[in-house]
Amino acid sequence: MAQMWITMGPQHPMTHGLWTLRVKVDGETVVDTDAELGYIHRGVEKICEARDFTQITPYCDRLCYVSAMTWANSYIYAAEDLLEAEVPERAEYIRLIAAELQRLASHLMWLGAFGPDIGNLTLMTWCMRDREMFLDLLQELGGSRMHYNYPRVGGVKRDIPIGFADRMIAKVKLFERRIDEYEMMLDESTIWLVRLQGVGYANAEEMVAAGVSGPNVRAAGVNYDVRWAHPYSVYDEIDWEPSVEKPTSVKGADCYDRYRVRMEEMRQSCRMVLDAIEKIPGGKNSNYSKGDEMIFKKAPLRAPEGATGFSNYECTRGASQFYIKGGGEGRGKSPYRLSIRSPMFITIPFVAKTMIGYKVADIPAIMGSFDPCIGETDR
Amino acid sequence: MGMSITAAQNLDAANECLEAINGRFDGSGVETTIEYHSNAKKFAFIRITTPPQHWQALAKWLCFDLGVNYCSMVTGTHYPDGPDERGWEVAYHMLRQPIVDQVPDTSTVYVAEDLRGSSIPMEFEILIPLANNNNPVVPTVQHIWVGADWNEKETWDLVGIKFEGHKNMHRVLNPNDSPEGFHPLQKQHKIRYHDYNEMYDDPQGFGRKPADEGRVK
Repeated sequence: MAQMWITMGPQHPMTHGLWTLRVKVDGETVVDTDAELGYIHRGVEKICEARDFTQITPYCDRLCYVSAMTWANSYIYAAEDLLEAEVPERAEYIRLIAAELQRLASHLMWLGAFGPDIGNLTLMTWCMRDREMFLDLLQELGGSRMHYNYPRVGGVKRDIPIGFADRMIAKVKLFERRIDEYEMMLDESTIWLVRLQGVGYANAEEMVAAGVSGPNVRAAGVNYDVRWAHPYSVYDEIDWEPSVEKPTSVKGADCYDRYRVRMEEMRQSCRMVLDAIEKIPGGKNSNYSKGDEMIFKKAPLRAPEGATGFSNYECTRGASQFYIKGGGEGRGKSPYRLSIRSPMFITIPFVAKTMIGYKVADIPAIMGSFDPCIGETDR
Repeated sequence: MGMSITAAQNLDAANECLEAINGRFDGSGVETTIEYHSNAKKFAFIRITTPPQHWQALAKWLCFDLGVNYCSMVTGTHYPDGPDERGWEVAYHMLRQPIVDQVPDTSTVYVAEDLRGSSIPMEFEILIPLANNNNPVVPTVQHIWVGADWNEKETWDLVGIKFEGHKNMHRVLNPNDSPEGFHPLQKQHKIRYHDYNEMYDDPQGFGRKPADEGRVK
């Protein structure tokens, strides 16, 4: 049969955003693929060259609306490296809790979007219901529902409100039971297993060579995680262990492994926040006023020329990195150059090549299992 | 809790890498130093400055002998006002991850406190200054790290640094029909609100000098 190129996207239910997957098919089999990105390129890196270090945080929130808190944190660690800021320990704990709550919300969004890809439409409503709990918690911290603008260079914007700890513990404990419900619903669902098992194999070494990171690599049987390999927050004082999944085949991890590892990550995130809220310095029921030195230390506003800042951060989809050069406009008030490394920018071309050899109907399962987000890809 | 890499492990690995790189590339113009981050755990990382002609040899050696298996980001910077020898700079950020010889059908659980020598994760920053002219060229490492492929595409697309020998170079973030030679992160392209700082420092417009004029805070 003649081979032909088909264009999936930019407007396609599978694409989870605006991008194009060009697929060369032979009958129903994929024989070649090509990814086209850049439909929502906003030029964040250029915009940041004309903003000061506090003004950049909201732009980093908007890199990915599903995991705004982790992206803002990632930027803040790079800015702190550049400006040599000190951070109080309570602020580090609050950031950790905020980031892990965001990870829960993000993985729930992923699961909710992945279900309809596979044919399980009910899952979307279940996940949105639970995600709302965590968005409410994050709203208490940041004041808005999705883009929080919460961390600051040298601390956080506000302390946790009174009663936040109790509400959070109740919700997280409820959610821990809900994870079991999800597993009951999915792990023995025939549709789920048939569509995911044996599809989209990728092995760990290949993925590392191609620059893939995060849960996608951990699904392939390696517990590599930035949170212990390049520790940045107070993860070394918290009780948790990196999630890892034993791949079901010698060929590496399939879509089912990637689903399993994200469920396990949600469990670990629950465990982390429950532990962190008990260990938080200053007490979980106290509320320090804005700018108190328990949650914020003043940091320099300007960075000299030649100074650089770098952060390596475990975002919800893999390692996100920022590289900032000081000495920009306003006598160093803005960065001279700010560069963003998005885990998905490198993963999407890799995943496109992973699909070769599978059927066209497997494309949504393979793509969805890698958790694509186009906002952060195109920046 | 013994689960994260400690500062001592990190420093050991950094010293080991420094010795290895100096042992191989000393005197060739490749300069290696140990630098420290000032955020988080104040960990050490390796900064290498290399002239472009040595870059591919260095890259191959890093990848195959030192075990640097992960190319995480490529950053190009334009310094139009820089000195003659540094009008552009390409920065590669690499990681060494302990993921080698992965046995199929098993899961590997690394325990951070048991990691020794070359399996300790390490961070590398490789700076390549380029001459101040209109034709910045650096050899590609696409064939050494697959992960460098799209990063280099992006760097050419946005900054305009050419990667000699890169196969299948094309626009990734800008539209495919962008004019040739248009690379938005070059400094001659200004955006709205550029030079806004005069307004920012003096919102009343009285022309007064800021209190910290000429002093970097």
